[in-house]
Amino acid sequence: MKIGGKLVLGLAILLIVLPILSLILYNLEVNPISTIINKPNVFIDSGYNTFYLLIITVFISIVFGLFPAWFVSLYDFKFKTLVDFLLYLPLAIPTYIMAFSYGEILSFTGPFQLFLRNYIPALSPFFNMDYLTIEVLGCVLGFSLFPYVYAASRISFTLIGQSYIHLSKMLGLNALNTFFKVALPLSTPAILSAVFLVSMEVLNEYGATKYFGVNTFTTEIFKTWYSLNDVGAAVGLSVVLLITVMTLYVFEQIYNAKTKINYKENTQLDYTFKKTITATKPILFCIIPILFGFVFPFIFILKNAIDNILSFNFIDTLSLAFNSISLSLLSSLLIVLVLFYILFVDKEYKARASKTLNIFSSIGYAMPGAVLALSLIIMSSQIKNNITSISLIGTFFLLIHAYFIRFMAVGKSPIKSSIDKMPDNLSESAKNLGLGNLGLAKKLYLPLNKFALLTAFLLCFVDLMKELPMTLILRPFNFDTLATKTYEFAVEEMVDLSSVYSLIIIFVCSVSLFIVKRINHN
Amino acid sequence: MYLEVNNISKYFDKKPILKNLSFSLEKGEILSFVGDSGAGKTTFLNCLSGLDKIESGKIVLDGLILNNEYTFVEPQKRDVGFVFQDYPLFPHLNLKQNILFNLKGFDQVEFDRIIKVSKLDSLLEKYPHQLSGGEKQRASIARAILRKPKLLLLDEPFNNLDKNIKSQIINEILLTIKKYEITTILVTHDTNNLFHYSDKILIFKAATLQQFDSPVNTYCNPSNCYCAELMGDLNKVIIDNTIYYLRPENVRLVKKSKYPVVINASVFNKSLYKINGKLFDEDLMFNSSQHFDKGETVYIDFNRKDLINFKKECEGYFEN
Repeated sequence: MKIGGKLVLGLAILLIVLPILSLILYNLEVNPISTIINKPNVFIDSGYNTFYLLIITVFISIVFGLFPAWFVSLYDFKFKTLVDFLLYLPLAIPTYIMAFSYGEILSFTGPFQLFLRNYIPALSPFFNMDYLTIEVLGCVLGFSLFPYVYAASRISFTLIGQSYIHLSKMLGLNALNTFFKVALPLSTPAILSAVFLVSMEVLNEYGATKYFGVNTFTTEIFKTWYSLNDVGAAVGLSVVLLITVMTLYVFEQIYNAKTKINYKENTQLDYTFKKTITATKPILFCIIPILFGFVFPFIFILKNAIDNILSFNFIDTLSLAFNSISLSLLSSLLIVLVLFYILFVDKEYKARASKTLNIFSSIGYAMPGAVLALSLIIMSSQIKNNITSISLIGTFFLLIHAYFIRFMAVGKSPIKSSIDKMPDNLSESAKNLGLGNLGLAKKLYLPLNKFALLTAFLLCFVDLMKELPMTLILRPFNFDTLATKTYEFAVEEMVDLSSVYSLIIIFVCSVSLFIVKRINHN
Repeated sequence: MYLEVNNISKYFDKKPILKNLSFSLEKGEILSFVGDSGAGKTTFLNCLSGLDKIESGKIVLDGLILNNEYTFVEPQKRDVGFVFQDYPLFPHLNLKQNILFNLKGFDQVEFDRIIKVSKLDSLLEKYPHQLSGGEKQRASIARAILRKPKLLLLDEPFNNLDKNIKSQIINEILLTIKKYEITTILVTHDTNNLFHYSDKILIFKAATLQQFDSPVNTYCNPSNCYCAELMGDLNKVIIDNTIYYLRPENVRLVKKSKYPVVINASVFNKSLYKINGKLFDEDLMFNSSQHFDKGETVYIDFNRKDLINFKKECEGYFEN
């Protein structure tokens, strides 16, 4: 069993390492250094844009995520549970759909400028401008990605609990100073991890950057690979992006290890600030991110869907929804099953696999989709050329392989934390009562971790439903999902027609997130 | 009066936690607030510190109303120090930074003195996760004292101190508190050392004040059976068909008297033997420098003034 677990872990690691290795080896073959030297502007421009976009997005994500987390964690106000849920909902809207929606909302013919022209004409000339800029894109990505910061700081603020809050009050700090001098320093590692996730999402972003015409590393990889057929430049860019991501990853790991703060978790909260502040302030701080992150784009998409109801093709939509849902379900199930097996063996046999799994799944998650897809194509070509004549390119196998690498980390966290909480003597007692490995997994691990497994499954499912860049590159010929179709309509400037697809994605993801929230709440 | 607690009440889910509690302290006095676990002692401290509000009554400190029907002073504006039961230190700061946290201007000599008294000299650069429970507790106390608050609240502050240095540290800390004339309320359920350092003792049970008095009176003239039992061991003696209670240390051995005691056990307890026996079918205990064998008969006596007499209800209380 222990060997079996190590084999599965080894296989999982191989699945992650092989494509990266292929990319690096191929990199040496095509000598992209000369491409970098020949086309320095491509690298400098896309590098600058990526960095600038990253800064804006991270800033907006922190502002929109941090303050609501503080209020929801430590204040009591009306509709708090609802507000808490709504603050997670922007995760249900894929970043590219958010970008398409805001691009349309802010355009000359969009509702924002129309409203100004009709009701405040004096102001309208000042707002008549091109909104498809990197700054607006940064804000839009921030609206979409702030829940990562919100979730991490919400957990951290809740764990800090009342002990430190009471103490800081007794040492003379008011609520604002408590936030800056106590809560924030204690939550820095959690916030930094969230910022890392936001950065990974920005580096991975393709649909939104393409629509806004912002050249980042990822869009350049697509452009050089597909439009210019310049393999050397695409590989060079991928390697630079991979190095950037790995540097960020290593930095995050080192920083978190160095600043690891040991404190007694204290979830006992009495919302002691509830009487010191009027309810309008927390609600205002929470409502603005909800409006920008969910309500405005959702209403816009809903209105478009209603306006275009006549051109709606039910059969096509059903087929696309089936493709998206079945592919996401299958991939999520596979990811969860493999993770469950590895973590079960790890716990039972103290195989020390979880640390290795942690590193490799994080590397997988950190890899931008475009780089990963490119690596898998190169790997498949090399297998075809050197080992077997079968081509995996354009097969579901390669697509699911890519999903597995990228989203293993998403599923791992809830399962691992749940299995870690199981006391060792539980399975010892079960073994003593005659249970074998299968019995242990079926009668002990499965029922005790069923909610964590469901959470992991749903989180993977939501991410897979929204996934775009890898699906665009690796999907089988003539195979579309809701995400790819939405993207295709948007780049053809027919955002209206993609509204129904967007709505289905948002609906399915919202319901999944709602279930996750309920599970964790209970 | 420096601290005035006037008729304060606090409820939780309609269940009273504090019921019409009143007492007052002079500046620099140390009050020991005694009660069973879960009796509401921490809630009481929270009300004094401003971490919780009272529902009725009044709290006045140094002439300033902290909380009444109309006023509520925020905890950070009360100048009240609080050493919490779990002695939290900020984990991202070292011990020195923790002690000096948010302290604007401090006297280095006093800092050095308090650090020395608390035996923290060699630990200043260490982080909380590198300290033992007792060290963290001492640091929390030092942090509170250094601020010289108008009122210092200590919630079970000496629980975790190392036995070898416990009494020395307690003495030195209390001397410092006395030196700075910090009015202090010390919540505890350990009654062993109360009498050494308290100016007043307040006994609290079932949300109600049972007795508020000097240590001597609390011990010698307990207001009810609960207070009497809480402050130390009691013997039940029946004299002329009346039930009295008597502290073991007030029992003295004599050569002959009308009170014969048949010895049940004689257990060596440090410098004395703890003797258990029967006096007219009632259990009796007392201390003696002498060992007695089981079954041996000895004679005891006592002063009439040391007999404690309670209301009739108390008989049932002790039997339970």
